[in-house]
Amino acid sequence: MSTIVDIVMSGLFQGSLYAMIAVGLALVWTTIGVFNFAHGVLMTVGAYIAWQLASSDALGLPIFIALPIALLASAAIGLLMQAAIVRPFIGRPDVVLLAVITTLAAASIFENGTLLIWGPRPMQLPPLAAGTVKIMGIGISAHQLIIILVTPVILAALWFFLTRMRLGLALRAVAQNEDACHLVGLNVAALYGLAFGLAAALAGLAGIFLGGFTFMSPTMGSEPLSKALVVVIFGGLGTIAGPIFAAYIIAFFEAISIYFIGFYWTPALLFAVLILTLMLKPEGLFSRRSRSLA
Amino acid sequence: MSTLLEIRGIETGYGRIKILHDVTLDNASGNIGLFGPNGHGKTTLLRCVSGLLRAWHGEIRFDGQVITNLPPRRIVERGLIHVSQGNRLFPDLTIRETLRLGAFPRRARAQEAQNIERVAALFPKLRERWSQRVRTLSGGERQMVSIAVALMSEPRLLILDEPTLGLAPRIKDELCDAIKLISQAGVKLVVVEQDVEFLLDLADHLYLINHGEVAAEVRPGDSMNHEAIMEMYFGRQTSALT
Ligand SMILES: Nc1ncnc2c1ncn2[C@@H]1O[C@H](COP(=O)(O)OP(=O)(O)OP(=O)(O)O)[C@@H](O)[C@H]1O
Ligand SMILES: [Mg+2]
Repeated sequence: MSTIVDIVMSGLFQGSLYAMIAVGLALVWTTIGVFNFAHGVLMTVGAYIAWQLASSDALGLPIFIALPIALLASAAIGLLMQAAIVRPFIGRPDVVLLAVITTLAAASIFENGTLLIWGPRPMQLPPLAAGTVKIMGIGISAHQLIIILVTPVILAALWFFLTRMRLGLALRAVAQNEDACHLVGLNVAALYGLAFGLAAALAGLAGIFLGGFTFMSPTMGSEPLSKALVVVIFGGLGTIAGPIFAAYIIAFFEAISIYFIGFYWTPALLFAVLILTLMLKPEGLFSRRSRSLA
Repeated sequence: MSTLLEIRGIETGYGRIKILHDVTLDNASGNIGLFGPNGHGKTTLLRCVSGLLRAWHGEIRFDGQVITNLPPRRIVERGLIHVSQGNRLFPDLTIRETLRLGAFPRRARAQEAQNIERVAALFPKLRERWSQRVRTLSGGERQMVSIAVALMSEPRLLILDEPTLGLAPRIKDELCDAIKLISQAGVKLVVVEQDVEFLLDLADHLYLINHGEVAAEVRPGDSMNHEAIMEMYFGRQTSALT
């Protein structure tokens, strides 16, 4: 019994993290049409900014004040990043390839920047809430429980925004027909910025979730990004629901596999899933045709 | 009566290739009709008017104010709305969602509910398909949605670039009736059409665009008969009527 609760909790927790990361990737892909390899370092940067604000070794603000500030800062960094390394290439036929190069470069710069500013020593972010909660005999940290409960709310809010609100509709439209967007009076450049900024804030939030759970390091974003990569390939990048479902499926798969097969082989199994997906259903990956949100 | 749209000495093109040479349309009264052979710059001119394409030279005024090379959204805000040729719109949005986007300009938001009703009355066919995705619509239905979206933006001047391209006669008539109703409601039109009858029906002042220039015009009151226009079309006596 406790095994099942353990697996379920672990699946829900990891699934929340993966979903939060994958949705940001999907948002950028579906609006701007590029893959953002700097998404992982945006997590890292968000977590470190929150640390700077909240840690008792630094500013020592309460986490619930530090969190929104860190998210705004992440969004601003995403916005600037978009303006500097993506927007100049929009409209060029080789924009996808160029964005791979520029976002990888940005990832490297930010990772090393984090190392320079905060050093290699692992640090820990104050959790969102202290203490543990007992669920059916299993202790789970309050921090994890909050993440498990809050993530679906945030994802649902995002879904509502993209499908029910005019600005969200505009974000979906900009991917589909740029000229037609101009002709209904949309500010296309601002929408690209908004997509990137929103994705960066989601990445920052995932980073803060992770930083309050494990130790933070300058490379903390790369492993979750590679998992999110499996998620978006598995679920397809074209929709917003796809990566969300895929995130939870992959996380449960991972939790089960870790329990029964062990830590050591689980990553290999995940990549086997990735390769199988690519062999059986490759059109999900980087296919411009299926670019649409919701 | 000053004219709503004045175009003076417009030159533009793509890359280094000049398409329009000194186009001037500043004396139009009533609805404007543009016609001319394929590929001679009608669409190019309209794209320049709505800000999608930079003018290299010249001036465009809307309601007396210069709008040359403003961002398209600034032009849309003033009520100059362009229904582009063969618009695919947003394939994965539904009709309802697409119409909501049409009401994006600030000045159109307050009237959104009212305009939805207006549009549904004008195109009853669309009402049955409110939540159908645009990608699955027929050509005629898509054209109706294109016009409907433009109406949601509260146009004062509506640019229609070949609204009946590739449509069957019956749908064409329906569309023509709808456009007439729009015009009667006080919206000025700029229409590009290959079908001369259709154009004569809708427009008061016609211009022939040939080789990126205004080659001839037919003013209101000129004898606008079919043959004369066909003659202009095929370039035998292009200046006969000016
Ligand atoms: N994006 C573009 N890049 C380069 N050349 C273009 C572009 N769009 C149009 N042209 C060229 O500009 C010229 C004028 O085209 P335009 O679309 O304005 O013609 P049109 O009069 O609207 O024709 P039609 O009646 O067929 O719609 C054509 O020679 C066309 O090939
Ligand atoms: Mg044309």
